[in-house]
Amino acid sequence: MGLDRRSFISLVAGGVTGSLFTPVIWKTLDDVSIWTQNWSWIPRLNYGEELKVPALCKLGSDAYGITVKTVAGRPVVAEGNPDHPLSLGGICPLGAASVHLLYSPSRVKNPKLKDGSSFKDITWDEAEELLVGKIKEAGASVAMISGDETGSVTDVLSGLVGKAGSDKSFLMPGESAPAVAALAMLGGDGKVGYDIENANYVLMLGADALGSWGNVARNGKAFSASREKGVKFVYVGPAQNGTSAVADSWIPCLPGTEPVLALGLAAVIADKGRDRSFWPGFAAFAKFVQTSYPLDKVAEITGVPAATIAGLALELMRAGRPLVLTAAVAGQGLGAFELAAGMSLNMLLGQINTVGGVRILPWAPKVVEAAADTKTLLASDLVAYLSAVADGGAEAPALLMVYGANPAYALPNLAKVQAAMDKAGFVVSFSSFMDETAAMADLIMPDSYAFERLDDAYSPYGSGQPNYTVAAAVIKPVFDTRPTGDVLLAVAAKAELDLGFESFEDVVKAKAEALGADFDELVGGAAWISEEFPVQDLALWQTPLQELVAPISDGKSLALAPALQLKIGSAKIAIPPFNTNAIRFNEMLGTDMYVLINAATAKNLGLKKDDVVKLASAGGECKARVRIFEGVMNDTVVAPMGFGHTAWDAFSRGKGDNVYKLLAADTEAQTGLSRFATARVTVTKA
Amino acid sequence: MAKCKSCVVLPFLVGLVASIVLGWWGFPKVLYSQKTQPIRFDHVVHVEDQAMACEDCHAFREDGSYAGMPTNANCVGCHEDVQGEDPDEARYVTEYVQQEKEVEWLGYQKQPDNVYFSHIAHKELDCTTCHPDVANMSTPPVYYENRLSGYSKDTMKMWQCEECHAKSGASNACFVCHK
Repeated sequence: MGLDRRSFISLVAGGVTGSLFTPVIWKTLDDVSIWTQNWSWIPRLNYGEELKVPALCKLGSDAYGITVKTVAGRPVVAEGNPDHPLSLGGICPLGAASVHLLYSPSRVKNPKLKDGSSFKDITWDEAEELLVGKIKEAGASVAMISGDETGSVTDVLSGLVGKAGSDKSFLMPGESAPAVAALAMLGGDGKVGYDIENANYVLMLGADALGSWGNVARNGKAFSASREKGVKFVYVGPAQNGTSAVADSWIPCLPGTEPVLALGLAAVIADKGRDRSFWPGFAAFAKFVQTSYPLDKVAEITGVPAATIAGLALELMRAGRPLVLTAAVAGQGLGAFELAAGMSLNMLLGQINTVGGVRILPWAPKVVEAAADTKTLLASDLVAYLSAVADGGAEAPALLMVYGANPAYALPNLAKVQAAMDKAGFVVSFSSFMDETAAMADLIMPDSYAFERLDDAYSPYGSGQPNYTVAAAVIKPVFDTRPTGDVLLAVAAKAELDLGFESFEDVVKAKAEALGADFDELVGGAAWISEEFPVQDLALWQTPLQELVAPISDGKSLALAPALQLKIGSAKIAIPPFNTNAIRFNEMLGTDMYVLINAATAKNLGLKKDDVVKLASAGGECKARVRIFEGVMNDTVVAPMGFGHTAWDAFSRGKGDNVYKLLAADTEAQTGLSRFATARVTVTKA
Repeated sequence: MAKCKSCVVLPFLVGLVASIVLGWWGFPKVLYSQKTQPIRFDHVVHVEDQAMACEDCHAFREDGSYAGMPTNANCVGCHEDVQGEDPDEARYVTEYVQQEKEVEWLGYQKQPDNVYFSHIAHKELDCTTCHPDVANMSTPPVYYENRLSGYSKDTMKMWQCEECHAKSGASNACFVCHK
């Protein structure tokens, strides 16, 4: 019997029919569908024990304790630490993105040496030998910049510079330096803190306390608790922001004129408050503010109605424990005398070194003998130094070392900063990320990321009480990076500059011991807290009183109000990849950032929504688009900080423009220190 | 006519039977590859000779999550050095413990990432309801890996979960298993 055509078709039909009664078709279809879910590029879960490990976040405006949730030893998410006094369970937008930054594409994965316009990879031994050679060559012509005023790595770096014979140790500008200088004007000596939890009236003069200023997480918790206690929060600033949105009231005030408002309030309180004539310095101060800052004049300068100022002064006088927080809207650049103007209000109200008021905190113990102490570091003016180097007024350092800071992006007089860095003989960056400073550096010795190393923080600016936090590494370094503290100690030893410690852990242990804290308990996540505050004799004013230089409207330019939003980044960190989705449609169009002006101002300038504009100041120029927003004062432009990166990664590079370019520092007459909180800018169609 | 009928029916039946045989017997052999555990772990020695309980190695953590397969940290208490004469134990000590390398055990019932299976929610069930009775085996069963999906042949399918949930009155809502 042959297999003819009919039989063959019948055989096939039988086979097909039979297959329907087998798993071949159904199982294959099912497995193919599962196969499509398991392609190699699809991320897979890593199973294992879940733990919560204490850690430190220093990405935003302050340092505070967080917890990192790990699964099988791998960090997966950061959360607030309810047991830490500066977190109380809260976390800032940068802290929330901190775990993902471990694997950021902008991480520097190994030491790199500048090779023409790019970098070549080198080993750690080569990098350390190179730095040792440069230290020996430079002699005393060495300088350092740190962006971490709370950590002991700064002490080690400053100790290295000091041991080399240089006093050129600098911190990046922040709110702490002018606050300390302001306190000194009142006769105080110490770090400055604010007992925001126990205040029953909080006046935020420019301080974006619930968005970006001070201990943001703690501030938020204090605000939350205040709702039930009936504590009033009043925000004074040039534009609506996250703080004004939730505060009990917002008092619009022209940018940079908040200190004038403070002195205006002081004039009213000195006049109508209880008798303080027996206070040292009161008579001279009262005469100064009442002569120089009458209500009408203050109202004209600040744009705040006289009746509002009088009402505000009355509220402050009636509150039992009022607290005045003075700051630049952008979180830096305020002059010391300007901050002292706000501080004098606390003094007048009897709210310094008392519950619910300003707290004077003791300085951190000095454990690295050759290092500059924090007080000296805060008094050293980095902006003035770099400007002098650029202008030829100061000798450029043969070796410049930068740790935890991005001066090539986040300083005023930016062109001069970059020129000063070009003039430096050899620039070393210890950045974990390819930031603008690292991109300009001759050598990058990448620091292990925050969760990959031991780190500490002593009483960040604004803390309500002295505190010390130590965090051990959560995970071994993901890339070929090393903790800068240990690298510096190793390099110092090779350069025969004995700093007195063999490891960074020994430095931290020494600091803990000096404070009377238990290192093991600190590493376990329990912050050291003290209730001891130095008792000091304060006088209302210790320095000659001069009128503030208030920004003057010329009818052509606008007052610039730089706005800092932590979700977009900070002076240290660019937009984390995790946070790009948080940038809203009304903050960026394509790659252009929006600046905010109100309709009246727009009409005066002949501008309309989405117009591309050029902002120009004495410092430089920026490009942006216009957004009309009625939550901005007249003749004021609000510009977001954190955009305009030229290095980092695709998530932050080339988006918007860098507002620091618009900030030009001038010298405060009363203190000789740099100030750059605001600027006058022209806004024209591009 | 009769001849024509057999020309049609017979080949049809042959095709039908052949297809069914190949589908039920041959297809699984093609679909699944066979693997053995990296180390032949002898449960009997541990359970009977050493009187160890399942929980000694397959424990719940403090937070209720299930630790799953033991790691070297569990085993080095006894096996930091070679204890007996089993060549697989010697290999485990030299190739894994001393090299600080974890054994990549093959999980017979490992679920996909999109399924959240809580062992502690099922702790009233006997382990062998879902798992092979390895406690009574000196040699772990062969692991059949689906060449297409990559999962074990014994990985429980969703209908099996649903059937048991339905019979026991547990919820079959999506979010019970898919978080």
